Amino acid sequence: MFKAKRIVRISGLVMTVLGIGAVLVGALPAPVSLGQNIKVQDPTSVVMIVNRDSNDISFLDIKTKKIVGRTFLGNNVNPHMVMMSPDGRYVVTGGTRANKAYIIDSRTLELVKVIPTDIAPEHLAFSPDSRWYYQGNPDGDSVSVIDMQSLTKIKTIPGFAEPLNITFTADGSKAYVGNYGAHWVGVIDVRRHELLKKIQIADVPGVAKLDPDRYLGEIKGINIAAPSLDGRFLYAADSDLGVVGVIDTRTDKVVKVIRVGKDPWRIYMNHDGKYAITANNGDETISIIDLRKNEVVATLEAGPDMTGINFAGGKAFVISSSSGFVYVYNMSSLRPAGRIKLGTNIQLETATTDAADEKLYLAQSTTNEVVIIDAKTEAIERIGNVGVYPWGTHIMDSKDNYCH
Amino acid sequence: MNVSDIKMRLLACCVYVAAVGMLAFPSSAAAQSGAATATQTPAVQESTPQLMERIRELERELAQLSAAAAPPVAQAAAQQQNPPAGGAQQAPMQMPMPPATTGPLNPENTPPDSTDPQALLDRIKLLEQRLRDLESSAVLSEPETRVRKVDVYVDPDGNQFDQPTQGAKKTTTYQRERVFRRQTINEKIEEALADAAEHNVTVGVDAGVVAQYAHRTKGEPTPADGHFYELVSADIFFTAGIAQHTLFFADIVGLSGPNPEGEMLVRTLVNGYSARLVNQNDISLREAWLRTELFGQRLAVTAGRLDLTNYFDHNIVANDETTQFLSDALVNNPALGLSENGVGLSLVYDAKNGFNFKAGFQQSNSSATSLSDSIFSLAEIGYLARPFGLSEGNYRAWYRVDNSGGSGYAIGYGASIDQKIRQGVTLFGRYGASDAEVKRDHFYSGGVQFDNGLGIFPSDVWGVAYGQNDFSVRPKERLVEGYYRFSLTERLNLSFHASYFLELLEGGGNLGYFVPGVRLQASF
Repeated sequence: MFKAKRIVRISGLVMTVLGIGAVLVGALPAPVSLGQNIKVQDPTSVVMIVNRDSNDISFLDIKTKKIVGRTFLGNNVNPHMVMMSPDGRYVVTGGTRANKAYIIDSRTLELVKVIPTDIAPEHLAFSPDSRWYYQGNPDGDSVSVIDMQSLTKIKTIPGFAEPLNITFTADGSKAYVGNYGAHWVGVIDVRRHELLKKIQIADVPGVAKLDPDRYLGEIKGINIAAPSLDGRFLYAADSDLGVVGVIDTRTDKVVKVIRVGKDPWRIYMNHDGKYAITANNGDETISIIDLRKNEVVATLEAGPDMTGINFAGGKAFVISSSSGFVYVYNMSSLRPAGRIKLGTNIQLETATTDAADEKLYLAQSTTNEVVIIDAKTEAIERIGNVGVYPWGTHIMDSKDNYCH
Repeated sequence: MNVSDIKMRLLACCVYVAAVGMLAFPSSAAAQSGAATATQTPAVQESTPQLMERIRELERELAQLSAAAAPPVAQAAAQQQNPPAGGAQQAPMQMPMPPATTGPLNPENTPPDSTDPQALLDRIKLLEQRLRDLESSAVLSEPETRVRKVDVYVDPDGNQFDQPTQGAKKTTTYQRERVFRRQTINEKIEEALADAAEHNVTVGVDAGVVAQYAHRTKGEPTPADGHFYELVSADIFFTAGIAQHTLFFADIVGLSGPNPEGEMLVRTLVNGYSARLVNQNDISLREAWLRTELFGQRLAVTAGRLDLTNYFDHNIVANDETTQFLSDALVNNPALGLSENGVGLSLVYDAKNGFNFKAGFQQSNSSATSLSDSIFSLAEIGYLARPFGLSEGNYRAWYRVDNSGGSGYAIGYGASIDQKIRQGVTLFGRYGASDAEVKRDHFYSGGVQFDNGLGIFPSDVWGVAYGQNDFSVRPKERLVEGYYRFSLTERLNLSFHASYFLELLEGGGNLGYFVPGVRLQASF
């Protein structure tokens, strides 16, 4: 009798422990893929394409140039930017018109979590350790903080003005947020997920009595604070002011203001750390900045409506979205090196560069294509039907992962 | 069965097993009670078939609930993966349900339907959030439509196929496409306005008022001494995109007011605006041309009534009397010898690799009865260089032929250079020579421009230049001009000028004028 009671107790205890364990296992996010559903073995082997109007993310195999999978997010989601976590575990995107963040298992390509954010999430960034996913909400003037361990939104950081791109420091202690609706860069203390300070890039001239709309009308401020190769400095272009502010990340102070062309959309860093380029849509030029001297060393003619700049094969490729041209510049001589015509009556969006700096993958929205440009030969190859209205591309470990 | 499904089944099973385990493992106090033990033991003993049945039942309920909460696409997948096992029961709604689990079947973690107060509160919270989102962004939810170019295959009977089909010919057509894109009202309005603007004629105005004062500093008395002059100019532009990469442009100009050249005895124009003057207070057609771009937009062809100096002898620093130096010798090279606009053609080839090539011709004398009697032809090569590690510089060389003089073909040639030596500092230089009645005239000019924050205000520009016009027949001319331009607004500039003209007269004497001036320029 006593033995039977003991057996019952022990078996009950074992079952309870197993049950609790199972509950905990079940509560863990993102299943470890068991093999049969794995669509992407190597996260670096695919180009992620964010398709705004088919509301999905498609995955293009770099070797075979075939679409290996698509993740549908829902109607009217209109995803904006896609990014893979540095650990290669998740792919995330912000659904601008759904006000949600979407988390996809990077191997099975299954949508594993949808998390409400603030209004109109667009650009985003991961902390270097992949723990935090910061989602900027330009219309909500906030940044949503998503814990990638629990896959939950743990905080919404308010106080921004149309936050666009977010840059984490290499040690992950701070994040810098470009505010397009203001002339300052926000610094977030990543430990506390709080807006620590605001760094004004340059003095804003007083509003002239003759031209009250000059600064009181539409505002075009800072798109991104882009880091130098060593992470020591950040370069933030201010569109309205036509300047690039250089921020020392150790002191969080502006150490230099560089005047560039008119209405710089943003700054792009060359991969060798020597130069950075601003795309000046106001006068259709680019300004090449020598990062050692922090001076503009060349201002060259470019095209209208520039949306991005990629670097590969010793060249800079400047995307002129409405003209159908990609303008090419030799980064050794800092001179123009021709332009590539991709079509007529088309709309180019943004591109990513492969990790070897050999090829560009450019989203061409109106034709539902991704155009692959060989940086050396400038030959092009078109991959059709990648999704409806591809808005941007992303490759893990690429140095040119950006959005517009 | 996918991974998430396995997880869900495992979860359901374990939750139930854990519950049974808790019942079978009473507290120590209860364990002391024989009655309690007696009541639990049979339950365990009879569990095997009933447990399995209960687990299956729970699995069915969980699957139904998950599928109900999932979005349509996921729902379809769930139905495929978990077909209902012969008349599955509806979930008992009175029963408080376990919290919804996140996964592919329920990525939004939507709370299940339930009468459980907490579940209801969760649903209310979710709906409130959605309402807030809608109220905040006021979006249009109807699907977006647009027309796309598509390739289809049409057989001889007119049947259209999406894929290549035997006997069908590939052809291009256009088709409406409907997508699920949600736009804000603002975006929709902006699109409509941009579309309307694209199909309209654009009108632009460039107006200038130049007031100058002439003070004779050297030489014999002339009428221009202590006199004020004011020239008012208004250009009205019409621009329309009439075809693919094809533009129509017309410029109507009207000028009024006394210009200083009427009284000053100088060889070149003191005020570059005077070059436009045909008749006082009259409106004249300055330019009217069509421009199209060919060969991958590398070759621009412009034909009509032209001002060839808009295409040749460019200079970044000294090429525009409306915003830069006023003196005509610092606007264009006098060696060009083009005194008026006329009918012509211009070809500009720019491969965007630093080189550009230009060629053109123009009627140079409006009184000529045929083009053959008044052809002015120009060719130019340009190159963008970065010599000695400096910033960019533009180097141009041109050659022209003109038969309007009536004495055969007169030639001229020249060069125009602008070189940025550092950010905000640009040097320029020009040289030109042209056939004259006796020998050749030679022209030199050079100067510097400061901009990019090197002024009082960030957008200000200022410059100083020197010009030397060595005509083969006296008088020769030397001139210096400095100006400072305030950018009052993006469309309004105010500049102050100071020029000095020295005429080296044929008899050996000199005539000097100091000409201060002010220019107000607006373009919109």
